[in-house]
Parts: sequence; structure tokens; C-alpha cells
Amino acid sequence: MRVIVFTAPGCPWCTRAKNYLRERGISFKEVDISRNPSAARDLVRMTGQTGVPVIVINGKPVVGFNKPLIDRLLGLK
Amino acid sequence: MEFFIKKENEKKREYDALVIGAGPAGLTAAIYIARGRFSVLVFEKVIPGGLAATTHLIENYPGFPEGVEGEELGRLMEKQARNLGVEFAMEEVVDVELEGEKKRVKTREGEYEGKAVVIATGSSHKKLGVPGEDKFTGKGVSYCATCDAPFYKDKKIAVVGCGNSGMQEGLYLLRFVRSIDFIEYFPYIPADRILQERVKKHENVKFHLNHQVLEIVGDERVEGVRVKKRDTGEEKVIEVDGVFIFAGLSPNTAFLNGKMELEDGYVVTDEFMRTSIPGVFACGDVRKKVLRQVATAVGDGAVCGASVVEYLEGR
Repeated sequence: MRVIVFTAPGCPWCTRAKNYLRERGISFKEVDISRNPSAARDLVRMTGQTGVPVIVINGKPVVGFNKPLIDRLLGLK
Repeated sequence: MEFFIKKENEKKREYDALVIGAGPAGLTAAIYIARGRFSVLVFEKVIPGGLAATTHLIENYPGFPEGVEGEELGRLMEKQARNLGVEFAMEEVVDVELEGEKKRVKTREGEYEGKAVVIATGSSHKKLGVPGEDKFTGKGVSYCATCDAPFYKDKKIAVVGCGNSGMQEGLYLLRFVRSIDFIEYFPYIPADRILQERVKKHENVKFHLNHQVLEIVGDERVEGVRVKKRDTGEEKVIEVDGVFIFAGLSPNTAFLNGKMELEDGYVVTDEFMRTSIPGVFACGDVRKKVLRQVATAVGDGAVCGASVVEYLEGR
């Protein structure tokens, strides 16, 4: 399972998403797009949207803290 | 006060007080209630700190001479509450039953009971309600500078609303963007002068005062904002790649499902933060009031917490 969380500092839903993954014992890599402009451009290409968090689970991007979808992709109940 | 024996893995469902919303108002109320030695559960759907948690720097809350990041302030308030035994449920409240001695709060995850309920759900940045806004939300239209600023590096943007939020967030956005066109409905800038001065020091800002936003224009992406000068009726399109909207607040009261009387969507209280329903209190931005700031939210929360303690003590 490969999980990447794209975040920006001061984005509350990003913190919520990271807290949730930690609560569920899911390890993830974090990419702060404010320090990584090319990641921001990649995200727009990947999702067509200009917002974080984006949680990429095994290559599938989830825009926003969409818990049901995150749970499904992670195989959590 | 009742005591509940908590079995392992069994969630406690009954509390003396249920506080809906972990912004500065709700957390302050919870701190006061916990200091009265009553059990408190605070519901929060995002993170503690409320709308203030999205602000990159709060400079008008005393005690922080250099200002404090909104998220950090929320974290500190949460820690203080937890130290006093306040519990948290990171769940979104979807319905409430407020009449009678036992109040019920329903979340997507479960149901809880309390003798008192505090409504501290705050408010969110209001939508303009113009064509193009919904179409481009998350694709060029944003209500959160800290969340979305990195997507606008070296781009031209518009900020709608020149109140304190618009100016403060504009200052943050200026770290990333090429230029900002500020659009304000009123013929003057409503923000504190200290913020105006700081923004005006930047050469890449322009003000369009007394202008009403008519439409966010664009085909596949945002290409501009169509505005009308209010006194002359003259229309123009300001060409930008993105639009940040900080034009007033809208109360978060949808979950009340019409079970409480509201005024302009806000909860009406007396000076003790009591609503029209016994045992139900409200504090902070969700309340009908004149100034919505962290400092006033904390003030509301303190009064509210003290009132809840009095109510629970049967005084």
C-alpha cells in the first residue's frame, strides 16, 4: 500500500486527513506543495482541481477528505 | 454529577455537556465547564481551531506579540481543554434533539446524550452567489488562502472582499502570486488600517472599490471577474487566473434542521448565551452579534461556560 498526502501548511482538512490516517495506523508520505511548486502543477494535471488535501492511494487520487472513499481504497471498514 | 464506567472499546455516550464545534468559542466554553467539574464532549468535523485555524496569522488576539498561526492557537486551546479532561469526538453533527431534560446529538458515527448543549459551530466564508462561482470552486475559485495559495504561484488573482479577512489573507497570498486585484463592494476599505497600510506597501496590488462582482468568467478555467461599478453602472472584466472570496460570513446552522429559531441564520441568545430552549446555549460566530473575532469568541465562550455550569448545578 502506497499512500501520499499532498498538503499545504495551515490547511485544516490536510491536518484532519493526516490525523485520520495516523489514527488508523496507515503510514504515508507527505508532500507540502508550498515547498514543491512542481507537485502543485502535477496535482492540477492529475485531478483538474486546485485544492488540497489530495490523498493518493495506490495511484488513485482522492481530492479532499472524502472518508468513505479513503476507507474503501484502503480496505478499511 | 454522574460517573460512568467506561469499558474497553466502549464509547461513552452520556455527558453533562455536549459542545458542538471546537473553535475558540466552543473550546473556551468546554474549558470553563470542565473546570466546574462537569463532563464535556466536544464535537469537531475538521480540526480544533475553527475558521481561525485557516488563518495564517492572528495578530489581534492578545497574548501573542508576534501573532499566532490559527492552527497553532487551536492546538494550544485543545491541549488546555484535554488537560482538564475534556473529551473530543472528531465527528460531524448531523441532527439534534434539543427539547426536554436530556438533549440528543446525532453524528454520522453515533448518538450522544447531554444535559446541556452548546452550539459553537461558527461560520464559514459566504458564497457570492454569482454565475461561475460553483462551476469553478476548487478549480480557480477558493475560500481558503492557506489551503490553495501554492496553486497560484506567479499567477494573477483577485481577492473579493477588503475586510480584515480579505486583507490578512491577501498578505499571505502575496507571498505566492504575481499580483492581486482587490474588489470591494463598499466605496471604502473596511479592514483595520494597519492591514491596509501593509497591503498598500506592495506594488503589485490594485483596488477596485465600490464594485460589485457579477460573474466569474472563463471557459475551461477562470479567465476573469466581471464587475460593475456601483455608482456609474460601468462594467468591466478584470483578467485573473484565480479568485479568492472573503466577502462576509455565513453561519453554520444547517444541522439544526429548523429546530431552533434563527435570525438571518444566526442563533439568538441573551447576554448569558442562553437560547430560547432551556439547557441550550450558543457562543461565538454562530451567534447573532456585532463583531466576529477570536477575542470575542473567547469572551462568548467564557460567559457561556459559566452559564452552563450554573445550569448544571441547578442554580
